[in-house]
Amino acid sequence: MRSSTRAFASARDGAEAVSEEAVITPAVPEAHPVSPGRRMVRTLLRKKLAVLALIYLSLFYFFGIFGPLLAPQDPYEQNLSAETRLQGPSAEHWLGTDRLGRDIASRVVYATRTTVVFTVVVLISGSLFLGLGLGLLAGYRGGWVDTLIMRVGEVMGGLPTLLLMLAITAAFRTRINDVSFWLEDHTWLGDDAATVTKFGIIVLATLPFAWIGSTRIVRSQALAIREEAYVLAAEAMGAGTWRVVSRHILPGVMPLFIMGVSAGMAGTAGAEVTLSFLGLGIDPPTASFGSLIADGAGPQTLERYPHLLLAPAIPVALFFFAWNLLGDALVDLLSPRGHLNG
Amino acid sequence: MGPGLLGYTIRRLLWAIPVLFVISLLVFYMLRLAPGDPVDAILGQRFQEDQAAVLRKKYGYDQPIHVQYVKYLQNLARGDLGVSIRHQQFTVSEVIIPKIWVSTRLGLIALVISFTLGIFAGIYAALARGTFLDPLTISFWLAIDAVPVFVAAPALMWLFALKLDLVGLGWRGFASPNIILPILVLSLPGTAGIARFVRASVLGVLQEDYVRTARAKGLPERTVVFTHVARNALLPLITVIGLSLPGVAGGALIVEQLFGIPGIGREGFDAVLAPDFDVILALVLFGSLLFVLANIAVDILYAVIDPRIRLGAGRG
Repeated sequence: MRSSTRAFASARDGAEAVSEEAVITPAVPEAHPVSPGRRMVRTLLRKKLAVLALIYLSLFYFFGIFGPLLAPQDPYEQNLSAETRLQGPSAEHWLGTDRLGRDIASRVVYATRTTVVFTVVVLISGSLFLGLGLGLLAGYRGGWVDTLIMRVGEVMGGLPTLLLMLAITAAFRTRINDVSFWLEDHTWLGDDAATVTKFGIIVLATLPFAWIGSTRIVRSQALAIREEAYVLAAEAMGAGTWRVVSRHILPGVMPLFIMGVSAGMAGTAGAEVTLSFLGLGIDPPTASFGSLIADGAGPQTLERYPHLLLAPAIPVALFFFAWNLLGDALVDLLSPRGHLNG
Repeated sequence: MGPGLLGYTIRRLLWAIPVLFVISLLVFYMLRLAPGDPVDAILGQRFQEDQAAVLRKKYGYDQPIHVQYVKYLQNLARGDLGVSIRHQQFTVSEVIIPKIWVSTRLGLIALVISFTLGIFAGIYAALARGTFLDPLTISFWLAIDAVPVFVAAPALMWLFALKLDLVGLGWRGFASPNIILPILVLSLPGTAGIARFVRASVLGVLQEDYVRTARAKGLPERTVVFTHVARNALLPLITVIGLSLPGVAGGALIVEQLFGIPGIGREGFDAVLAPDFDVILALVLFGSLLFVLANIAVDILYAVIDPRIRLGAGRG
């Protein structure tokens, strides 16, 4: 009795949050409230934070996509006179100007575009296709498929990631001009060719490492679940591979996968920001949070021109925070067992 | 455990050899095929072609890549990692070993702090589930984790060195209080992941039948939490700990860069920019070796501790 009311409450809980996020509304009957006070506080704080995170991320991605329309000024326009360089926030320049007199607010908006494009590309290609797919295959199939996938993963994951990413980008960057000139002449990219090439390089540097985390999580979870009694029972009753994987393995794998992906999202975006900070990613004049932060990093600079560091650092830290919060809340929400515990 | 485990260990160790071989091959080719060879780096922009040719011959860069690779492996088998381009009087081992030692010590201190904080925060949050303290604890660490190192470092430097004048900047070794800031920056961001991991794990274990049984038979809550819950919940942490160890020895590139620490991360960055092939290669191989060994150790430990895991068992 007790546990069934709790299960009800949690299902309701989940349904509320799902409809708030406007995804799907499962047909869950109206249940009576159980323990109002504590659960309310917790739900309020936890889910509110997740909703806030989602709102912030939507806003971030919106800015990323429609940046050119929203940016208050031209992010590339320099103004080198003394009274327009390194100015603090003002009515004309909301977040001040940088060393070259460029409008920082506009550069931040353009930097979100860099982050948005990069995360979407790596998420779809790295985590979703490679990560989840290979993880399920390895975990449930086992045998030589598992061995092969995990050995390849071991080779790739065994490499010191940041060092290799640096080596790859450094090696390819010497060819940037050749490639971007070719792209400029032979495709419709035109002036964007150099930026596209730099994007290509950092995606190339990130992708070999982007799938391993999720694959490892999914695989180890699938490996544990396939030993569970209910999976063995389903198999004994003649359920096909697809049914067992989709109905029994996947639900158990999902929470950890999503936790992995959302935690990985901050890391993925972080890779670009880090490479750009080190001057090996997306570099000026194209705006990136990494290079914007690099402009303002340093205790003395922070003392004199705090806006140089704070203007890009706050939005990007909130972006990472939002992904972390969302992932955390999602785990809580999606975990099939987590809710039974009050 | 039984002979199965020993066989498994040997099998995994033997597997490690081709794995490392493939890694060395991949990285060697990638580095050598990249435009610009180390001779360009030594001589700079202006040089005589015949001078370059002499150097190329000296270091063997005039040979085909596969010949160079075989030569490299032969030297490696003798324990010779090659010569650093940037530190010409020193062999690669002489350059990297002291720096690895610095990074490892620094990383271990940070690791211990992170895991201690993370384990306590995670258990606390899990037990506080249902109150606002649970999301508050986790969100706090997630917020800390979200601040990029290269933002946190200048901010902390400004606050503690410029404003409060409590510590100095710059590297003075492990005995100096200057080490506090890099340790903070290294350890605090990792805590969130561990706390979250521990919390999820504890919550999972709390629902196990044996915990219900322990409670049902009237054991005091403390015994339940520490013997039944914590012991089982911290088991998966072995993976996390084991797999973070190689990273510790690999150093922290940005933190070392920002705080001027003579560690291996910074050496790696400088080597990549130079490019200093033998140093990069040695660092990649060293990192990979540690990682492969850590992986094997984690799997074996896991099997020893949790007999439910069947090692390397294929199905049908």
